[in-house]
Amino acid sequence: MIRTSKKAAALVALAAAGALVAGVTATAARAADKITIAFVMGAESDPFFQAMKVGAEAQAKASGVTLIWQGDPSVYSPATQIPIADQVLAQNPSGLVLIPTDPVALQNTVTKAKTAGIPVVNVDTHVNDLTDVVSFITGDNADGGAKAADAMAKAIGYKKGGSYQVAVGLTSATATTNVARLEGFSKAIAKKYPGIKIVDKAYSSSQPSVANTNVNNWLTKFPKLNGIFAIDGTNADGASAAIQAKGLKGKVALVGYDAYAKNVKLIKSGVITALVAQDPAAEAKLAIKTLVEYIKTGKTATAKNVVIPNFVISASTSAADVAKYTYVQK
Amino acid sequence: MNRIREVLKNQQFILVLALAVMVAFFSIKNPVFFSIPVFGNILSDWAPVVLMAVGETYVIMSGGIDLSVGSTVGLSGVAAAFVMRSMTTAGQNQNFTILVGTFIAMGVGLLIGLVNAFLITKARMVPFVATLATLGAARGLCIVTTGGGPIGEGPEKAISYSVPWFGPLNTPGIIIIVIVAICGLFMHKAKLGRYTYAIGSNSFAARSAGINVKLHLAKIYVLSGVLSGLAGMYLYIRLGSGSPSSGASGELMAIAAVVIGGASLSGGVGRMSGTVLGSLILTTVTSGLIIIGVAPNWNQVVVAVLIAGAVFIQGFRTWTKD
Repeated sequence: MIRTSKKAAALVALAAAGALVAGVTATAARAADKITIAFVMGAESDPFFQAMKVGAEAQAKASGVTLIWQGDPSVYSPATQIPIADQVLAQNPSGLVLIPTDPVALQNTVTKAKTAGIPVVNVDTHVNDLTDVVSFITGDNADGGAKAADAMAKAIGYKKGGSYQVAVGLTSATATTNVARLEGFSKAIAKKYPGIKIVDKAYSSSQPSVANTNVNNWLTKFPKLNGIFAIDGTNADGASAAIQAKGLKGKVALVGYDAYAKNVKLIKSGVITALVAQDPAAEAKLAIKTLVEYIKTGKTATAKNVVIPNFVISASTSAADVAKYTYVQK
Repeated sequence: MNRIREVLKNQQFILVLALAVMVAFFSIKNPVFFSIPVFGNILSDWAPVVLMAVGETYVIMSGGIDLSVGSTVGLSGVAAAFVMRSMTTAGQNQNFTILVGTFIAMGVGLLIGLVNAFLITKARMVPFVATLATLGAARGLCIVTTGGGPIGEGPEKAISYSVPWFGPLNTPGIIIIVIVAICGLFMHKAKLGRYTYAIGSNSFAARSAGINVKLHLAKIYVLSGVLSGLAGMYLYIRLGSGSPSSGASGELMAIAAVVIGGASLSGGVGRMSGTVLGSLILTTVTSGLIIIGVAPNWNQVVVAVLIAGAVFIQGFRTWTKD
């Protein structure tokens, strides 16, 4: 028993020493004018953030700064993000890129950073009060939805006076990205393509197999269905499998969201008609560039609010653009 | 009154009746429901659920629980997807690749089953905790290995196997029905089933009667793992890719199917035919609600009512025993 407690004590001492060394190095690094940028994102497992990481690493290397990349492995939630953000701030980075998983809950993290003299940039999503945030850089989900509507109209050969049926596959009823995309899509349809009717909506809970069940049943229920808008990657997965299995390739248009490599390939084979691609790598690059500039000079040329436009990939997109916008996945 | 009691005591009869009422209800609401393509959709949802539920039936009948079945589905599908992707890149024969993928998926299930068996019989953990640990580990590994995205670029032929050709049935579906039938026979006609009942009813008595309880429990958890592995492969064939989120909360579907089928969570009570019908009822609800156009969130409510109803009927049977 005594031996175990001795061991435990030794361990504790070792850990404390380690922490001390880490702390000293952090301060030393700062003193030596070595810039460290902390990047706290939503959920490591999401290919969207994987693509963002690639951009962040590239820019950190180009700017000659150290990158601390942190976030929950799989859960997109303030409950898991706040402790991670606190840990990261304790390392005293020169700047913080924060993707707040909740606009209210993460406000305090921004305040804490401000108090410690650490400048903050928001990417993708933002905190409610942007006063203390250097810049907010994002993709535009409403615009993405509207672009999806255009791609859909083109794919189904929309003509004035015709009537068309479209179904929308979502992940959940509440995810803010889903809501914004659907709103952009519905508004564009109502304004520009009144002949298109959204006949049904269903949720996949981020599972391709659930999306697959939804689409299988739609294809039976609506024999005249013209198109499907898959609002995220999992819905595109489930829908593309259903369309292939039912032999409806080319007959039912499928417009998806997010340029995962696997789905980009399905455009080539004609299963997916078009994909709305965001540019997570560009968002990350600009965020780090902005922070480095701000840390070095105290100001930045980047606007307070930057919207990185979406890009629609279809069969007619050039190979160079396809390569540029396809999300890089490890 | 006695005859009503007799009928109510027969869980299978009640389940068939419930299923018939559901089919009639959905068909009246939308005649499209009563068609081969819709039955095909239902059966293709049913196949992976029933595989998990059959293994779960053995486990629950033995007085345990297996929470890892859903994560096993995910990890086995992902592992098979990785192997099949490299084989496809290497230009291997597609059918051979799919066959190898199937064995990989079953192998992953077998491994997780062995871990469960070890934790329960050797490390003496209660099944709930042991399988909760493997649930988390397997799902975590899914995400670590894939980075969150689905793994595709496997044999293109895979999806074509999910197309029904024998009425509403596809080839994997037919194979799964045969597997379920064999597991049912072993449950009710062989030593494997008799021992399971014995352990679930009273494991001390089973041990004194000379049954090697630990070995037998190990077999059951391995069976559950292998069947879940097959379910993972089935979902791969359906999607043409291995998704790290496949089978998420599948354990709850499996347990719900077993409970609706009339098994008791305290072990020793239940029938395989009940589990088969229970899982069929669950997937019929899913498709039915989509076809008649009810908001998808109602699905959870309907399932909850079904579970409560099934347990109520069980209670009713117990009260009327005396």
